[in-house]
Amino acid sequence: MPPTEAAGALTAAFERIAATRMAGLPMNNPALRVAAIGFRPWQDAYLVGVLITPWAINLMILGDRTAGDLRLAADCRRTWEFPSGRYDFMGGEEPECGAYQFCSMFSPTFEFADQAAAETIAADIVEALFVDASGGEAEQREAARLAGRSTLQVETSRRGFLRGVFSGLKG
Amino acid sequence: MTETFYDVLRRQGISRRSFLKFCSLTATSLGLGSAYAPKIAHAMETKPRTPVIWLEGLECTCCSESFIRSAHPLTKDVILSMLSLDYHVTLMAAAGHQAEKQLEEIKKKYKGNYILAVEGNPPLNEDGMYCIEGGRPFVEILKETAADAKAVIAWGACASYGCVQAAKPNPTRATPIDKVISGKPIIKVPGCPPIAEVMTGVVTYMLTFDRLPELDRQGRPKMFYGQRIHDKCYRRPHFDAGQFVEQWDDDAARKGYCLYKMGCKGPTTYNACSTVRWNDGVSFPIQSGHGCIGCSEDGFWDKGSFYDRVTDIKQFGIEANADKVGGTAAAAAGAGVAVHAALSALKKAKKSESTEKVTGDN
Repeated sequence: MPPTEAAGALTAAFERIAATRMAGLPMNNPALRVAAIGFRPWQDAYLVGVLITPWAINLMILGDRTAGDLRLAADCRRTWEFPSGRYDFMGGEEPECGAYQFCSMFSPTFEFADQAAAETIAADIVEALFVDASGGEAEQREAARLAGRSTLQVETSRRGFLRGVFSGLKG
Repeated sequence: MTETFYDVLRRQGISRRSFLKFCSLTATSLGLGSAYAPKIAHAMETKPRTPVIWLEGLECTCCSESFIRSAHPLTKDVILSMLSLDYHVTLMAAAGHQAEKQLEEIKKKYKGNYILAVEGNPPLNEDGMYCIEGGRPFVEILKETAADAKAVIAWGACASYGCVQAAKPNPTRATPIDKVISGKPIIKVPGCPPIAEVMTGVVTYMLTFDRLPELDRQGRPKMFYGQRIHDKCYRRPHFDAGQFVEQWDDDAARKGYCLYKMGCKGPTTYNACSTVRWNDGVSFPIQSGHGCIGCSEDGFWDKGSFYDRVTDIKQFGIEANADKVGGTAAAAAGAGVAVHAALSALKKAKKSESTEKVTGDN
């Protein structure tokens, strides 16, 4: 399915939910409306983008409506690997768009004052998803924390450590 | 000769193989990655053992109960052999004057070098008479012991925020420990009780690395309190699709739909229950069909019924907790702010090793 058509089906599904099951709930940010942002092909069979709703902003993976390989049982997660890292997705399904998988970015969404702010960040999320973030800020910060005033100057023998760990872990 | 952690463990009959495995499990559960395992091993082999004094004030001992039920038997042995040798009102063998003498000795011998772990809090009304230990008000013992400690751990909602004994009208003026102790680094590990793996993780990190883990604005360790229950809840797909339980035991309840309308505080509660879960990862409240009561949030007893729907997000301090995106700020300050917000949202969602269930034999 071309990205625009799939994004349209997704939007239709969640506009229906917004008007029915979610209508009037205090978890909605009244400044936001349903929008599908930045959908692009991913691994041949899928589309990746961000869905904005008044109650959540999620990374979404869509597939062929009939294939159904995105279906996930309750309490199951699927890990997808993107250039920026690995993310756990959960599954859902609606008649308009078929099975989908999502990973929560924001919920609730009261940080956003208006639709434009939400759409800007949604577009940035899709961009950042495909940028390699290895050796990232968090790891560097943790390393720096442990380097200062540390008692850990000398490494143990890597060989001895690996032998100990691997023989211990499998059991 | 100074005794190291490793010496203590060997004396307790823990094999080197088990010790190395403990180091590897700890590195993983702290989300540090396997590269940190040798660092933990080295620190424990060379560092002098840090004594831990564990005080209990107004509390119910649920923190200790949670702690000693840490899922991995090895972790439990290791941590308990570090702790029970010193002072823990419930776990130590000593009693009466002997115990009080022991406390004095540790304080003198390890002045400025021990870690103080506090379960419960001091009541301040009537000069602290609502909690007497060994004939003295708990608040005095707490202040004295904290004065010579290297760092302080506030276990649970009681020590961190006050919990039920501080609920309105708080007749004894039960007070969180950070309002009583000054000039010491304090780490808050809230929850009623906190998750065992979170407690052992925090203790191990502090004992091995000789410093506090990275904290959020409220003084909680980011590695365990960085996400809301709602963010990783297995019922989250039902929330996003607007599928809610409307009353107890209705069809939606049996289907495992979202409990938001039944008062679940998952959207406003920061804790690791939906990822680490409880009882060796078996379950957590939402999985057993009841909403989250928000026990790791400040003042959770005074925020209405556990069954009241969350209607006013601001009341729960979400805006103070969450990384501010500030829609207007993003629009005004330009792309930089928005990109930063996008990156931090992705970073939070990224799969970390600490969220993977750690399993293994002994």
